[in-house]
Amino acid sequence: MKASYFAAMGYSERSKFPVTWPIPPAYNDPATSVQSYQDGMAECEFAEEMGFDWLSFSEHHYSGRVSTGTPSVMAAAVAERCKRIKIAMLGHLLPLNNPVRIAEELAILDNLTNGRVVTGFLRGTPNEDQVYSMNPAEGRGRLLEGMDLILKALTEPQPFSWEGRYYQYRTVAVWPRPVQQPYPPVVVATRSDDTIRYAAENRLALGVSFLPVDQMAELTDKYRNWCEEAGWSPGPDHIVYRGSIHVAETDKQADDWFESLKRSKPGPTIPLRRTVAEAIQSARTGGEFDLRNLVAGSPEGDVVGNAPRLNFVGGPDTVVKQMKEFHDRCGVGVVDLLFQQPGVNHRGVMQEIELFGKGVLPQIKEF
Amino acid sequence: MAERIGFTQSQVDAGGFSVRYWEAGQGRPVVVLDSAGWRESPLHGALAEKYRVIFVELPGFGGSLANTRSQSAGDLAAAIAEAADLLTDEKYTLIGASFGGHVAIWQALQAPGRVEALILISPTAIKPQDISLETTPEEFHMLLFAHPANAANLPPVSEDVSLKEWELAQRLGFGRHDQAAQERLGEIRCPTLALFGSRDRLVSPEAARVYRENIPNCNISIVYDAGHCIIADRPEALVNAVDDYAQQWETYIVGRRTGLINP
Repeated sequence: MKASYFAAMGYSERSKFPVTWPIPPAYNDPATSVQSYQDGMAECEFAEEMGFDWLSFSEHHYSGRVSTGTPSVMAAAVAERCKRIKIAMLGHLLPLNNPVRIAEELAILDNLTNGRVVTGFLRGTPNEDQVYSMNPAEGRGRLLEGMDLILKALTEPQPFSWEGRYYQYRTVAVWPRPVQQPYPPVVVATRSDDTIRYAAENRLALGVSFLPVDQMAELTDKYRNWCEEAGWSPGPDHIVYRGSIHVAETDKQADDWFESLKRSKPGPTIPLRRTVAEAIQSARTGGEFDLRNLVAGSPEGDVVGNAPRLNFVGGPDTVVKQMKEFHDRCGVGVVDLLFQQPGVNHRGVMQEIELFGKGVLPQIKEF
Repeated sequence: MAERIGFTQSQVDAGGFSVRYWEAGQGRPVVVLDSAGWRESPLHGALAEKYRVIFVELPGFGGSLANTRSQSAGDLAAAIAEAADLLTDEKYTLIGASFGGHVAIWQALQAPGRVEALILISPTAIKPQDISLETTPEEFHMLLFAHPANAANLPPVSEDVSLKEWELAQRLGFGRHDQAAQERLGEIRCPTLALFGSRDRLVSPEAARVYRENIPNCNISIVYDAGHCIIADRPEALVNAVDDYAQQWETYIVGRRTGLINP
C-alpha cells in the first residue's frame, strides 16, 4: 500500500474561522497566509523525506481550510522543492473549469516534473457549485463530458474542434504533450454509479473520500465488477482512498485528542445555510424546492454539512490495522491522508508525519 | 417555429443511371450524399433555409434500382459529379455522410473546379474498423449509434433494400481502407471539414488526423457522445457545426457568440 500526503496548505489560524462558507477574505492576514504556505510546503518536503509516495493537491475554494483554489499553481511550486515524489492532482473540479485549460495545466505539470503527475477528476462538493455560478443540475453532465474532452485533448496529435453538450471549442491543440504517454494515470473521484462505470470502462482508477469501510467496500465491489466486464482487472494504484488521520504515540493519546476535538464542537467542515444547501440539492437532483417552507433559522442561518470525523485514529499499530482493513476489504492501494486536523498546528503535523513515516509507512508498504 | 421546407423529388440521367434527387431552398447550391438514403433530416431542413439543397441518391442505394455496374466509390462519384453538373452551373458545397463521404472524397478529386467546399460526416474511406462478415444487417444497424435508443431516429430500411445495399457496399469497398484515396487526399484543395462522433464504432479515431495531415485546408471536428450516425445521436450539434462551416469555411473557428450578460 502506498501513502499520499494531502497537501491542504491550511491557513494556520483556521481554528478562528466562523462556522460558515465561504470564509470572508477579511479573516486573511497576508503575513500569516505567506507563512502558512511556507509551512505547508515544508510539510510536503518532510513527507517526501519520510517516504510518502504521493503528494496530493485538491481544488477547494473560498476557505483557508484547504487553501488551494488553483491546485496546479500550488503543485508547480511544491514540485520544484520535492524532486522525486509523485504529484497527484486529486483533483480538478471539472464542472467549474474549462477542460482544455485543465489539460494544458496537467500537460505542463507533467513536463515540469518529468512525468511524475497523477491526474484526478471530480465534480466537487455542493458548496463549490456556487464558486463560478455553475448550474448544479449540469454538474454531472459537465463532469462526464469534461473527462472525455481532457483525455482527447491530451492524446490527439492534430488540432481539432469539439462539439459537445456543454463545451464547444473550435480549435484545441494542447501543448506540450504529456511526458507520460498516452496520458498520466487518471483517478476518477466519485461515489456515483455512472461515474464509477465511466472509470471502469475507460480503465481509469477510482478515488473515494472519507466513506466508512463498509460503504467503501460496496463501491469498490461495483468498480471491480465493472472493470471485469470491461475486460481488465484494476491494480493496487487503481483504488485510492482519501481519509482524515490523527496518529499519536499511543492509542490513548490519540483518543484523548479526539475526545477534546469533539468537546470543542468545531462545526461542520462545509457549513452552508440550510436554504442554500436545499437549493443546491434540489438543483442537482431536479427535485422541488420551496424556499418559503423552510425555517429561516438564526440570523447567521442554520448550517448543514458534514460533521468532522476521522477515518484513521490511534497509535501507529492501530492505524496500520485500520488501513489494512481498507486494503483487504476494498482493495485500496493508495491512502491519501489529511493530517491538518482542527487544532493541530504545523508543529503537530510535522510530528505526525514523522511518526507515520517511522511507525506506519514501513508496515503498510508490506501489504 | 420556421415553416417546414418541402423537398421535391426529381430525377436526372447521369453516368448511365437514372439518378433520383430531392431539392429544396434557394441560394448557393449544396449537394448532399448519404449512403443511408433519402429521409429528410434536421440537417437538410436547416441547410434548405439558407441554401439550394440537392440531396442526390447514390445509384443502387435506397429506393433506386440495383446497381450492378459500379465497381468502386470513384465510379459512383463520376456519376454523381455528372448529375451535379446537369443540376447546377455554379460551384457547390459537397456534403457526404458515411459511405457518401467516401464517394464525396472521390468526387472532390474528380471535379476540383466544381466543389468549392467539402464537408465529410463520418467518412468511411480511411481506416474504418474491420466489420465482421458475420454481422447481420440488423446488428450492423445498431453499431451506428452511441445510444441504442437513438436508433429510432433512423429506422432501418426494408430487408430487400438492405440486402441490395449490403451487396453493393461490399463490392464498392465499404468498410475497407481506401489507400488510393488516402494517397490523393493532398490533391483536395478546397476547404474541408471532417466530423467524427467521439463514440464511432465503425471508423477508428486515428482516421480524423489522416484527413488533417493530408488535406491542405482541413479542420477535423469531434462530436461528443455521438456514434457513426451523428445525425441520430447529436442532431443539434451536427447541424450547428455543418451550418457554421458551410457559411464560413475555415474561419468557422472564429468565435462569434456573445459572452455579454448585461450591457
